[in-house]
Amino acid sequence: MEPDAQLVQRCLRGEGPAWEELVRRHARRVYNLCYRFTSNSAEAEDLSQEVFLRIYRTLASYRTAYGGFPTWLTTVTRNLLVDHYRRTRRDRVTDSLEDVLPQVEQKHSPMRTPDKAAMARELSSQVQSALSRLSPELREAVILRDLQGLEYNEIQEVLSVPEGTVKSRINRGRIELARVLQDMGVKPG
Amino acid sequence: MTWSCIQIEERLSEYLDGALVGAEQQEFRAHLASCPRCAPLLAQVTHVIGRLRTLEPEPAPPALISKILDQTLGPRKTKSDWLGWLPMLWQPRVAMGAVTVLATLFIIFQATGVRTSNVTVASLNPVNIYHSADRHAHLAFARSVKFVNDLRVVYEIQSRLQPATGVSANSPESAPPPSESQPKSPSQSRQKHSANGSFAYVAAFLADAPGGSLR
Repeated sequence: MEPDAQLVQRCLRGEGPAWEELVRRHARRVYNLCYRFTSNSAEAEDLSQEVFLRIYRTLASYRTAYGGFPTWLTTVTRNLLVDHYRRTRRDRVTDSLEDVLPQVEQKHSPMRTPDKAAMARELSSQVQSALSRLSPELREAVILRDLQGLEYNEIQEVLSVPEGTVKSRINRGRIELARVLQDMGVKPG
Repeated sequence: MTWSCIQIEERLSEYLDGALVGAEQQEFRAHLASCPRCAPLLAQVTHVIGRLRTLEPEPAPPALISKILDQTLGPRKTKSDWLGWLPMLWQPRVAMGAVTVLATLFIIFQATGVRTSNVTVASLNPVNIYHSADRHAHLAFARSVKFVNDLRVVYEIQSRLQPATGVSANSPESAPPPSESQPKSPSQSRQKHSANGSFAYVAAFLADAPGGSLR
């Protein structure tokens, strides 16, 4: 597989297929980052488009010395997500935990078919619901570490905060998430 | 000094990541063993991390990539499916295949009597092809039977003429000189035979008989 840095160079020479390959390679990752952060597929799709538009326009500013292309892509995505969060904060309806709980508890009905796909969907929706209860700082730290699998130094680069802050946010995010899931009736084991 | 619950919470991820060693690790474990609040928390956090890491990525919406490409590269020309196949036809193996198919068709048409210069829908009808092939087979059989019969006559005449011409045929000088008008092959001889009668045919055949000379 051709390295990302090489594809970027080809893009800068105006090669459309190279850009197409970059988009195909990273679209799902960017979309997932947006989706996990916003909990809304339509918003995540719009934001993913915005991310790639920005990447396309600022591709010349990318240098391999800054780190890997995925880290740069994640940084751009994260910055857009933060902008989006600030922009929509006033419009957002702050639904309470009590609003979420009944929906989750309904899914524990004994009539549910215990097939693997359904269980995976249920798990995904529970985790997503719990993630949306976290503050944006803790949410992004947990998403980057435990969902996107980034290393601490990469997260430090993406968030532009000291290592100690990264560790602290990840730790607090995990504990908060564990408590939210516990309140939702999800128990370990 | 033993750690407090707040300290345990602060160092929880470090412990799970294996970053706590030596005395710190022992302090952490000692607190966990005696605290009814922190042990379940550790279990819950471990469970959450496991869940997060095994979570399947959501599939991207199907139109996402094309929307991104349209916005960045501009609307692209979409090739229709059959045009997309065209470049694949420009290959030597396709040309070879086409030639083979044409040659096969030509041979089949020849054998079945379908005229390639005047192919009609009726001539491609399997019934007509069958009848035509049947007719051709019978004609070929009749021609070969006739040829064998003719040969028998020829050899009979040859054997009767042999005593009379046997001596002179041995000397090359007495052999009839080859002339331009003389048929050169048995097939030409047969044509001559049908045109001028059996005697000329026999004479021509004897002159050009396989083996060249008469004994």
